[in-house]
Amino acid sequence: MSESAQPEAADAARRSVRLPRPGHLPLPFIGGALILGLSVFVAAFPGLFAPYDPLAFDYNAVLQGPSAAHPFGTDNFGRDVLSRVIHAYTIDMQIAIFATIFPFVFGTAVGALVGYAGGIAETIFGRVVDAVITFPFLVLVIAIVSVLGPGLGNMYIAVGLVGWVFYARITAAEVRVQKRLDYADAGRAMGYTHARIIFRHLLPNAITPAIVYWMTDMALAILLGSSLGYLGLGAQPPAAEWGVQIAEAKNFMSTAWWMGVFPGLAIVVTGLGFSLLGDGLAELLRTRR
Amino acid sequence: MPEFIARRLVQLIPTLIFILVVVFVLVRLLPGDPASAVLGDRALDADVERINRELGLDRSIPVQFWVFVKSFLTGDLGNSISLRIPVTQLIADRLPITMLLTLMAAAIALIIAIPLAFVAALRRERLPDTLIRGGFQVGLSMPVFYIGLVLLTVFGANLRWFPVGGYGDTFPEHLYHLFLPAVTLALSLSAILMRNLRAAIIEVLDADYVTFARSKGLRTRLILFRHILRNALISTLALFGLSIGTLLGGAVITETVFAIPGAGRLMVDSIYGRDYPVVQGLTVTLAVVVSITFLLTDLLQAWLDPRVTK
Repeated sequence: MSESAQPEAADAARRSVRLPRPGHLPLPFIGGALILGLSVFVAAFPGLFAPYDPLAFDYNAVLQGPSAAHPFGTDNFGRDVLSRVIHAYTIDMQIAIFATIFPFVFGTAVGALVGYAGGIAETIFGRVVDAVITFPFLVLVIAIVSVLGPGLGNMYIAVGLVGWVFYARITAAEVRVQKRLDYADAGRAMGYTHARIIFRHLLPNAITPAIVYWMTDMALAILLGSSLGYLGLGAQPPAAEWGVQIAEAKNFMSTAWWMGVFPGLAIVVTGLGFSLLGDGLAELLRTRR
Repeated sequence: MPEFIARRLVQLIPTLIFILVVVFVLVRLLPGDPASAVLGDRALDADVERINRELGLDRSIPVQFWVFVKSFLTGDLGNSISLRIPVTQLIADRLPITMLLTLMAAAIALIIAIPLAFVAALRRERLPDTLIRGGFQVGLSMPVFYIGLVLLTVFGANLRWFPVGGYGDTFPEHLYHLFLPAVTLALSLSAILMRNLRAAIIEVLDADYVTFARSKGLRTRLILFRHILRNALISTLALFGLSIGTLLGGAVITETVFAIPGAGRLMVDSIYGRDYPVVQGLTVTLAVVVSITFLLTDLLQAWLDPRVTK
């Protein structure tokens, strides 16, 4: 039994270096990648998919239910809901990326430095984390947006000011483990600079949890962005954004359900895409280790 | 244990100072001066000066910070610009509503999460587990405001089982008015709690003391409640504390959707009205509520599981 297990393990180890073949990819990964690939494509070329102008009023077709001409119906200004949902992909996918890219890059870098340095830097950082998490995230973001003024740009600033802390905390914990391993000692013995050890050797091994969290965070960013849009503090009407659309739908919930259901569905599907991709990545990167 | 309590209380001090510094800096970062933001572009110089004096903005920064800290220590947060009543009184009126809403949401989330977590953990990797976890995955991707609007439309406007907004006058009426908003708020929390509880139950199921209890011939139900639930709940408690910020954030949205006159709604209204003393006071107050909740859940956890204090 143990003899036959030996080459199998070696084989698995060899295979783990290469990227798995498509048939061996975890199912959630494939599902998530498909949903998000399509979402990004729609976001990049909404004109290819949208049958109408998302902002064009048509007073001859106000509050019409789903039909062949308008698969998702029309809103109270006669705008085509499908076209608005499609064009909203551009804004909402942009929110997912722009709101999280700075926290991801800056947070992992700070986390790597803090985790590597340890000592007083880590103690101070711990206090900063404690303090930041005592602010209800949404309340703090709303407060910052209220100071800077409504709009997506200010939302990115607000999220950036707070969001990096979570990446830093995750990465610091991982680097703290990695720096005690032999290969880090080897790097030091070779006389590599701290920066080289941290960013070339430790970080690539420590970044997996941060990447997985990034996926969740992009889904959260869309929820946050649409929430702010709903409250009137994010994307501004008449822009097509899912939260803005749902806010416009709130007085027509029982008379024209389609106005809110489809933007809501778009949020759920995109969010699911991100969490599936996150789960899949976690599985994929775990087996690769 | 007393040592642990003392240590946690001391840790609270730098956190509170940090909260005050952040909010102070935030308000000073304001582009343009708040006076013209309040009065509009065509304000008279005399009025601008008066507002600046009222807000204490004509003094030096260190003096301003000292006045700011002192105002929180004495509980005098100034007056609301739009409502013209003391901010402290405004918060004292509105915060209890939000706290009641949050407590109800927490209770409902537990009531939803515990049984489902048990079913999912005991039928691990089988159909019920998959269904429950899939359902919650969808629930987690749903925006709170949309869940609220749907519940409001279906159970409020169409079926008329619940009021479509407001808060009522008596305590039972409060509970009745807050039920739908609390359910709205509870759904995403219950998803997080369910996931954690399920993992905790699975871990406990495999623990030696459960095997021992089983081998002693204890009834399964007794084991489930006496041993498994208690231990699984301890780790959930920490998560609960950490979720309070998300809950309060969610309360801002739910209160707006359901038109409940709580602190969250007040926050949104004050932002629309550029009522900075209120925004500032509320931000600090909510952060203090969160840090006190952290403290309480830590202490409760230490009391339930003495290993935590080490």
